[in-house]
Amino acid sequence: MQTVTFVKKIKEDGSPCRKCAEVEERLQSAGLMPRIDRVVIADERDPASEGIQLAAELGVDAAPFFIVVKDGVQIVYTSYVRVLKEVLTAKTTEEEEAKEILERSDDLDFL
Amino acid sequence: MVEMGIPAAEIAGLAAEYATRTPVEILTLALERFDNIALSFSGAEDIVLVDMASKIRPGVAVFSLDTGRLHGETYRFIESVRERYPITLDVLAPDTIAVERLVREKGLFSFYKDGHTECCGIRKVVPLKRKLATVDAWITGQRQDQSPSTRASVPVIQADTAFSSAEHPVVKFNPLARWSSAEVWRYMREHDVPYNQLHEKGFASIGCEPCTRAVLPNQHEREGRWWWEEATIKECGLHAGNLKGGR
Repeated sequence: MQTVTFVKKIKEDGSPCRKCAEVEERLQSAGLMPRIDRVVIADERDPASEGIQLAAELGVDAAPFFIVVKDGVQIVYTSYVRVLKEVLTAKTTEEEEAKEILERSDDLDFL
Repeated sequence: MVEMGIPAAEIAGLAAEYATRTPVEILTLALERFDNIALSFSGAEDIVLVDMASKIRPGVAVFSLDTGRLHGETYRFIESVRERYPITLDVLAPDTIAVERLVREKGLFSFYKDGHTECCGIRKVVPLKRKLATVDAWITGQRQDQSPSTRASVPVIQADTAFSSAEHPVVKFNPLARWSSAEVWRYMREHDVPYNQLHEKGFASIGCEPCTRAVLPNQHEREGRWWWEEATIKECGLHAGNLKGGR
């Protein structure tokens, strides 16, 4: 038994964060949204929102992120490429893996 | 006999030990410990590493990422470096099909609208990933003073978490991490090291032509790269203030 929770962020101005929107679009276009059991909002305007609370509890500092519970074991994924590959067993492209590497590796910005 | 490689458990200790060593000492360690190692050369100030490394190990493997969008000055500089130094230089190209698809779908300047990561991913990171899959370690010219927000904590030696896998760990050496731009240029003058002509035109940091611009006196070099993106670069962060307030 596996449950997948997708936590996405709403920015202070009420708009969705760009990366969260991209990931959601990616999940939608690949027909993977039905395999996401819950979508939780981290609303920057509301510190009590469930996503903000979850991020604090789990020590996550960037959105989006995923919480996967399988056979009672919880794993937090901050890499959506890993979720696609390891949890949803979907194919990823070299380009999206590279884009994520760059987004997650601040020190590569001057390459 | 010199021990080869660096076990993951020893990297942090060596990084601390070598934090105050000179770039030449760090390079010497890197080249002693790894046979299968390559130096990344961007066509900018990291030329000092080519100068140092080629003296330590003539024939040292060097690679440059040719995005297809570099300045003419950079291509000419890379070629002059190949002729001057005893190095084995590989110029890596992006995947043609991926570039053609990007340009077909989003045009030649998509980065001004969508941000630079998609284009950089295709033109730089994929070729870099391909290259790093073939080596055990690499050497970069990253310096802490290049960007207060993204490079302030760059160590002199690190496990490369971005490009390592469980089966293939990669060690990354940043011999210039603690040098300032002034120290790099002092070395270049003292050792008569050639430099990219763009520096004479006000370019402090050198990347692709559409994404790099000259900076004014006392402007930080970071302001010469992706200047249109500053407002949104950290938009995915879950702000600590909110997290604290939620407790």
